[in-house]
Amino acid sequence: MSMALLTRWSAPLVWLALLLALALGGEWLEPLLRWSEPDARRLLYPQADLLTLLARHVQVVAIASGLAVVIGVGAAILVTRPGGRDFLPLVAQFASMGQTFPPVAVLALAVPVLGFGTWPIIVALLLYGLLPIVRNTLAGLEGLDPAVDEAARGMGMGGDQRLWQVELPLAAPIILAGIRTSVTVNIATAALGATVGASNLGAPIIAGIVNGNTAYILQGAVMIGLLALAVDSLFARLVPARQ
Amino acid sequence: MIELKSVTKRFGGETAVDAISLTVNRGELWALVGTSGCGKSTTLRMINRLIEHDGGEIHIDGRPIREFDGKILRRRIGYAIQSTGLFPHWTVARNIGLVPRLLKWPAARVNARVEELMALLGLSVEQFADKYPSQLSGGQAQRVGVARALAADPDILLMDEPFGALDPITRKGLQAELRDLQSRLQKTIVFVTHDMDEALALADRLVVMNAGRIVQQGRPLELLRAPADDFVASLLGGDDRGLKEAAITRVAERMQPLSPRLLPQARVHRDATLRQALAVMFREHADRLAVVDDEAMPVGELSLRRIVGAGREGGSDT
Repeated sequence: MSMALLTRWSAPLVWLALLLALALGGEWLEPLLRWSEPDARRLLYPQADLLTLLARHVQVVAIASGLAVVIGVGAAILVTRPGGRDFLPLVAQFASMGQTFPPVAVLALAVPVLGFGTWPIIVALLLYGLLPIVRNTLAGLEGLDPAVDEAARGMGMGGDQRLWQVELPLAAPIILAGIRTSVTVNIATAALGATVGASNLGAPIIAGIVNGNTAYILQGAVMIGLLALAVDSLFARLVPARQ
Repeated sequence: MIELKSVTKRFGGETAVDAISLTVNRGELWALVGTSGCGKSTTLRMINRLIEHDGGEIHIDGRPIREFDGKILRRRIGYAIQSTGLFPHWTVARNIGLVPRLLKWPAARVNARVEELMALLGLSVEQFADKYPSQLSGGQAQRVGVARALAADPDILLMDEPFGALDPITRKGLQAELRDLQSRLQKTIVFVTHDMDEALALADRLVVMNAGRIVQQGRPLELLRAPADDFVASLLGGDDRGLKEAAITRVAERMQPLSPRLLPQARVHRDATLRQALAVMFREHADRLAVVDDEAMPVGELSLRRIVGAGREGGSDT
């Protein structure tokens, strides 16, 4: 049993272990990084900072994605109810527009309003992450087998009962897939926040670009990659296996 | 009892159901038949208010259905549809227990009821209770669908082509079971089908609909013998009507007592239909059959003359 459990969760655990190893880092990384940047004076990004940056990165993505899930799933549910159907095209269009807008442009527009720091990147990630969630939630809810809906009504289930007991459980795998895409993309995109003063794993990359230090860029990029992999493989195991 | 009084339904400019009236008494099975789009499903779905009627009145047990909340009404009325509509993420047992749970029965009572229904429909609890709908055959899924419709022991059952998607053998089997079930449970059933043989085999009364109107209603034999117009006649099978009549008449109704003559070799069961008797005659090249009971004991005989109706007014041809 515990073996099976371990096998099931091994992939995310491996990615997480690698991520933490990098964050807690240490001297053993130095020879590896030396290969990328033989002449640099400093190779290791300050470790204490790396852990903080990782935490901030996770925090920003969690807040933005949490909001995107609440708003995205909520909006998709509202526009598939009898009262909200008129707004379906509007919401679908707004969500696609959010995706076509480049995150950098959102940052540029958000900074004058929200100032430098963490908030602009949260807004950008929120907008950018909405589409996959809205799109998949709509697809999941609209894709309900008409016979199942007919039966649910015919048996005397109310609107809320149908939503919670039938529609959402049946749409859950598709909704989760949307959230997974959204979060994974946001983990990568969040790095852009470093350009407007948000401190996250984008910071070593920006610092590396500014100072011409490939080792810094590598540390930031690899950690973002590992974080994305860890979260993505966690999601892969969240989707319930059903026959 | 279900009463429809000049009930009308319009979708946009189209009149789907046009001032139809019918009275289904307690314990009767009525079949609504007609071509696709004749309004029979719409009529059925107006009875449980999945579709609201625009004109006329629908009463259940003397009270207009608009007096009830739609959800409450539907929990009191069993509903089974062609594609079953079983919830794919729920087990068989949970699917069957849906309406009792909506009615807030205690869990123990729900479980007992689910097991009772599974037994009633010939589904082994051990084998099927924890299966998911995708693991069932078409016939098994439809049994679960019927069990779910019966779960809260409703007086009224609405069935929309429940056996329409099944292969002929499974369909015949389930029709026989429904007939058997109905003779025990005495529900008030409205049954929509476009399979005329199914309607004739199951229904106490037939309602033939065309373009939203009732063309004719009555007992199956009345319709077969005196169709109101060419539409009803062709729907009932045109020249095949005679065979359909033979298919709903029992051998026992036409057989004669054993005569002193030599008993014919070819035999037919007393509960078989005249159609089956004709088939035996055709196959055996015989114009007389011995009628036997469950123990294969001869209880009477049947001649071709009796079958084709010389005896319709009762034993005058001997």
